[in-house]
Amino acid sequence: MRTRLQRFRLNVTPQRVLAVLFLLVLGYLVVVPLGVMLQETFVVHPLERFQIPGSMPGDFTLAHWERTFVSENAYAFFYRPLINTLIISLGLAFLALAIGGTLAWLVVRTDLPFKGLISNAAIIPYVMPSWTLALAWITLFKNERIGGTQGIFTALTGVSTPDWFAYGLFPITITLALHYFPFGFMLIGGALRNIDAQLEESAELLGAGRLTILRRVVVPLVLPAIFSTFLLTFSRGLGTFGTPAFLGGPVREFVLSTTLYANLIGQRPGIGYLVAFVMISLGVLVLYMDHRIIGTRRSFVTISGKGARAGLVALGRWRGPVAALVLTFIFGVIAVPIVALAVDTVMLRPGIYAWSNFSLHYWIGEASRAIGLGTGEPGILRNPQLMGALGNTMQLAITVALICGVLGMLIGYTVVRLRGTLISRLLDQLSFLPYLMPSIALGSIFLAMFAVARGPIPSLYGTFWLLVIACVVSYLPYAVKAGISAMMQVGPELEEAAIMAGASWWTRMRRVLFPVQKATYFSGMLLPFISVTRELSLLILLVTPATQLATTITLRYTDRGWYPYTNAMVLVLVTIVITSTVVSRRLMKTDLAKGLGG
Amino acid sequence: MPHRKIVATLLALLVALAGAVAFAQAEDWDAIEDAAQQEGKLMVYSTTSRTATAATNFQELTGIEVEVVRLGEQDLIQRAYQEARAGVESADVIVVEDWVAARELLSATGYFVNYVPPTARELFAERHQDPLVLGFINRIFGYNTDKHPDHDPFVSVWDLTTPEFRGRVMIRDVAITGEHQNAFTEWVRRSDELEAAYERRFGEPLVMTEANAGLEWMKRFLENDPIIMTSDTRISEAVGAAGQEDPPYGMFYVYSKHRDIPLQDLRLTDSRQIDPTLGYYYPIVLQLAAASESPNAAKVFIEYLTTLEGFEPWADSPGVYTPNPNQVPFEGDMPFWWWEDRLWYYDLDFAAANRGIVLDTWLKYAQR
Repeated sequence: MRTRLQRFRLNVTPQRVLAVLFLLVLGYLVVVPLGVMLQETFVVHPLERFQIPGSMPGDFTLAHWERTFVSENAYAFFYRPLINTLIISLGLAFLALAIGGTLAWLVVRTDLPFKGLISNAAIIPYVMPSWTLALAWITLFKNERIGGTQGIFTALTGVSTPDWFAYGLFPITITLALHYFPFGFMLIGGALRNIDAQLEESAELLGAGRLTILRRVVVPLVLPAIFSTFLLTFSRGLGTFGTPAFLGGPVREFVLSTTLYANLIGQRPGIGYLVAFVMISLGVLVLYMDHRIIGTRRSFVTISGKGARAGLVALGRWRGPVAALVLTFIFGVIAVPIVALAVDTVMLRPGIYAWSNFSLHYWIGEASRAIGLGTGEPGILRNPQLMGALGNTMQLAITVALICGVLGMLIGYTVVRLRGTLISRLLDQLSFLPYLMPSIALGSIFLAMFAVARGPIPSLYGTFWLLVIACVVSYLPYAVKAGISAMMQVGPELEEAAIMAGASWWTRMRRVLFPVQKATYFSGMLLPFISVTRELSLLILLVTPATQLATTITLRYTDRGWYPYTNAMVLVLVTIVITSTVVSRRLMKTDLAKGLGG
Repeated sequence: MPHRKIVATLLALLVALAGAVAFAQAEDWDAIEDAAQQEGKLMVYSTTSRTATAATNFQELTGIEVEVVRLGEQDLIQRAYQEARAGVESADVIVVEDWVAARELLSATGYFVNYVPPTARELFAERHQDPLVLGFINRIFGYNTDKHPDHDPFVSVWDLTTPEFRGRVMIRDVAITGEHQNAFTEWVRRSDELEAAYERRFGEPLVMTEANAGLEWMKRFLENDPIIMTSDTRISEAVGAAGQEDPPYGMFYVYSKHRDIPLQDLRLTDSRQIDPTLGYYYPIVLQLAAASESPNAAKVFIEYLTTLEGFEPWADSPGVYTPNPNQVPFEGDMPFWWWEDRLWYYDLDFAAANRGIVLDTWLKYAQR
């Protein structure tokens, strides 16, 4: 008779070991912060005691819950912002899907020209910080309501834009969708690329028309990617603060993230965390729906040992116009904000369009109180502190991307190989949760968790690794999503064949599983990389002078209204990110051809 | 180690106590300065980026190294609070705003203590000594001088609730501006004055649906379609930009933005007559960490910031004032005592107790 232990050891497979390991680590990094957040919603905080009669800080209370959900003003405090948030999130998710999906289909499945250019360029809107689009929108479409210089559209046409178009839910949804559609493009593009052409050919042989093939074969196969896109963009809509605050304020349309922020500023963390908790719950709800729907469809194994790329749809006479349309759209979305930022950095004084006012002072000028805004600060390219911070940012971004990439692949592998078990579901959902946590809340919780040594975990306070951990946890969901969707499409027979050939687990991962899905893993690493370069609210509480980042150090300019410096810094970051993206994509592409085409 | 910490804490507490009881003269400043030279580098958290400039100047003067981390007002409070709670030695000195919140989290908890250095003890008014004020910032009402070349369009704060100003007043979002929340508690506390101002303006008593005239004003103001912004810079630029037919008006933006008027050719000025208050002012406060391992160096740095020389980085614009009476006002600006008579401040205890009500009233009516 075998003992329990023996049985267990017999069943020890790499995926199980990994699963247990990841569960432990993620449990600590995800469940603890979530628990802290929930606990805080039942506690009286120092300034809150005045609104809760007879209470002392630290007391247990239900007041935050009552106020938020059932008080007399609950509609204004909570439900109205909730409705606005849902409108934005849903609109954003559908738009991002429509735009990203269409572009992905055009690039992967048709004979559209300039594909390389388009697929590189289509990621750039996400590379730019989301507020740049909001800023560009205001620059273009603002009307008299918010005063100052005229909007460009009004200046050119003489037509004043209506308020609903210039500010509020409509532009918030549009600008966020323009920022997040690259998610759809990458995820759906990745899925489309991996569909085995034999499936479509068989359908064609069976007499199915193009539309039927699209509806019955292609769409179901990319459904996981569609849901992932929906989930990722929808959740971002829940949490984004900058754009809604900037565009919504002028017409006083507020969302949950502004409510969260207001209560944190107002020193009412109990209510603030409760709002954060609602935001997380909404995300979890979508996550649950995603699992219900994808879960019932079982897995689609689309990369088998053999296989061929599908034939391309010929666009015929539409080829030219469609290409022109796509290029105009993408370059509009990229160029308008970049130009808006760039122009700002070369004008000594804002809003004065005279040749004498143009200068590279904010880039390479010496510190002076007599030129332009009279800041007494050197141009950003000759500021050693800024350049040092930029170095830190790059180091952090690369480290986080690599760690996320490896973890994403391993967690993806574990989740898919253990599919159908509780442990797999748990791991999948745990690794996604941080994505739903508003980063302002997460930063302060991480600080509290890691400032002192706890058990085997040393104090990470002030170290680079604390930043790494915070970012890895925050952006792991991207990598895990990529890892899961990549692994879902790889049939077990590839690995089984490798096992038969005597390959060790390590060799299987390195020689088989990683190479066949390189492109998807790569997308999973790219997103953390990009996101780190512009992260601010998560890290602001964790950086120290030695670990200053480009974004945190730029605050000193934003804080005094010296936007030319801030914008120049954003441009530098964007340039670096775009360059590294394009370069590494090019490298990956060659490898991709080898891995898939062979 | 814990020994040193306890000693340092006790010392700091003692010093604070001594300061309060005016025994402080007994403090041996020379000894502090000597000891400061033996201590390590200082870490300073600051909401204002100019502290970094002051720190560089200080280092040149004394040789004491100072590192400055610039943080937003709530981030600073959050971070100093979490770190102190965890017992991590980090900031020795904080340069902090929103004292209402900071006092609850950092001072009442004993993590940070007040220290009154020699210059402040000698020159600062007593009310500016505890908490020790680095400087005051004022926030005012402003308008476009192209539209109103020869008269101030503001008569009373109640004007902002009338059709004439409908959809034309800009203010930084009270929900995300701690100091605005504090300032409006004063409008609640001084409701009677607001009520009287209403009667002065319209010749009839104010009929209220809210509990007091302060909240009533907020409600009427929000129902008058104000424009809520996220940055003071954008407010002053929007109000002051040249060539506008119907420029907006600015409320409660920092007066120091008027420094940009000549540089950006803004047509901007502030109201000097709006009844009953020209705006408000708030302090930037200096505090010493109770657990600081370099308490003497910290004190020397605090002392430096209270001198005119130390304050220099802030003295390059209007709207920023040291409590040091020897400061010469910025060109075109009035001295602080002038403003102090015309701007409202806030009562710290009342603000702490009523800030939630102000925020709730704002959130209730701000949402369209």
